[in-house]
Amino acid sequence: MAVTKAQQAGSRLLLFLPAALWIMIFFVLPYTFLGYVSFKPTSSSSAYLPGFTLDNYVFNLTDSFFWVILAETLLEGVATVLICLLFSYPLAYRLARSRSRHRSLLYMVVISPLLVGVVIRCYGWMVLLADKGLINDLLLKTGIIDAPLPLMYNMFGVMVGLVQVYMPYMVISLTGAIQRINPELEYTARSLGASRFTAFRKITLPMSLPGIMSGSILVFVLTISSYAIPLLLGGNKTLTTPLLIVQTALDAFDWPGGASMAVIMFVIVVTLLSLYIKVLMHAMRGMK
Amino acid sequence: MREQKKNLTDRFIDLMVFLAYVFLLLPTVIVVLAAFNGGEYLHFPPDGFSLKWFSKLFATEQMMESFFFSIRLALAASVTSTLIGLGAALYVVRYAGRLASVLRPYILSPLMLPSILTGLALMISFYSTGIGGKSFLGLYAGHTLITTPYVFLVVSSVLYNFDYSMEEAARNLGATRLQTFFYVTLPHIKNGIIGSGVFAFITSFDQFPLSLLLTGPGYSTLPVQMFDYLRFEFDPVAAAIATINIVLAYGMMFLMEHSVGLKVLYGGKK
Repeated sequence: MAVTKAQQAGSRLLLFLPAALWIMIFFVLPYTFLGYVSFKPTSSSSAYLPGFTLDNYVFNLTDSFFWVILAETLLEGVATVLICLLFSYPLAYRLARSRSRHRSLLYMVVISPLLVGVVIRCYGWMVLLADKGLINDLLLKTGIIDAPLPLMYNMFGVMVGLVQVYMPYMVISLTGAIQRINPELEYTARSLGASRFTAFRKITLPMSLPGIMSGSILVFVLTISSYAIPLLLGGNKTLTTPLLIVQTALDAFDWPGGASMAVIMFVIVVTLLSLYIKVLMHAMRGMK
Repeated sequence: MREQKKNLTDRFIDLMVFLAYVFLLLPTVIVVLAAFNGGEYLHFPPDGFSLKWFSKLFATEQMMESFFFSIRLALAASVTSTLIGLGAALYVVRYAGRLASVLRPYILSPLMLPSILTGLALMISFYSTGIGGKSFLGLYAGHTLITTPYVFLVVSSVLYNFDYSMEEAARNLGATRLQTFFYVTLPHIKNGIIGSGVFAFITSFDQFPLSLLLTGPGYSTLPVQMFDYLRFEFDPVAAAIATINIVLAYGMMFLMEHSVGLKVLYGGKK
């Protein structure tokens, strides 16, 4: 064993290097370049002009249209989180407390939609929600309605898609949190005379708060950065920040404009994610 | 009185849970039904069982081409990310020491940021450096970037649960470092590696926003092709290819569950 310590450390580092370089070249540098472009003057004839300017940021941040779209995107995120929470909690509670031997199968069913691509799932919703779709067909034939209901290419369709696609993440976060609560606590409260609802409100709900928080932030981040769902189920009727970014950068060929919007979005996402990590860390500490 | 109320609450929760399951599975089931339905649209009652959309699919050249293109791309990306992700996981779990708390988030970072932003950043970078914004290389680089963190996540969780005393035993009995790795360590983490590779494959195969920005003429991935198709036509050819995709994904999921357990991927234990 004539290998020195330094040589050994060096050869071990070789294990890490390929992945580290890949991420540096195809992730860190491109994002840096995106940031760089966001400070370049816009040009109509080329991608951008030399020089340095804050104009793109000033323009976006004083543009009421940008704010309206951003506000709508964030609102859509909040609505998706709330609906996901409402539908996921009972499901997560049952999964966490289940003693069935089919439990892992039930868990798999919940996360299996994640393995089916987002385009396919949107397509499934299109078959259901279109004017000639299954739901309208059914309602028309039974005579409940006379004209097809507008179920997609609007906010409703987008929300249905968002909730369905991101709900599994909420269920996973909640199931984990509820599993960590000792069921005995609830039984004890009930044996001391608390009603089922009170036991839930005073014990299970507050103790699952870390899961609610982390699941909500995760779903929120995924929703506001979603591109395919508003595009496919919203048609051209609903505009969100990710759609606006791509439209500006590609369709209008305004790289600095699109890049500066992307940086604003990046800041929002990173802030939320650091909050998410803080919540998770806090929950982990609580476990010890 | 109280007993009855409890049953009512229970039933209400059961109903909610049932509806949640239906809601989660509905679009997938509908796509499969549409693929085997005889008519252009799915109505009640259905038009009867038919395989005609599949035969039309096999005759739709661009669909089949992008299907095989996606398979090639997913194979390239998953093999690469399995290799580099495994290396990174070995290093971070075993040798990085205190640095692990910095290196781990670094490797996981591509997973954290929206792929639409990553796609935009990659596209303008490729375009500017002349690699060409629309090449196989760009797609390959982007997909490998997205799938590597998953491999890292799965393999490092397997490594955390690995019993190191077995390696020590092998070394004490005279095995070399390489022998120990190939005869002791590798067989134990093999399932984790295969599982992570399979998951990387599915992730690449399903990837949409990144591909949309990096796909060019002649280089269309299946989700992008389906997306284009759905904008102009609404016939169930898309449902037929989607069904093949769904069967592939579920098959691989069972493989995954069998090899490592899916929990590892989604906030399971570290």
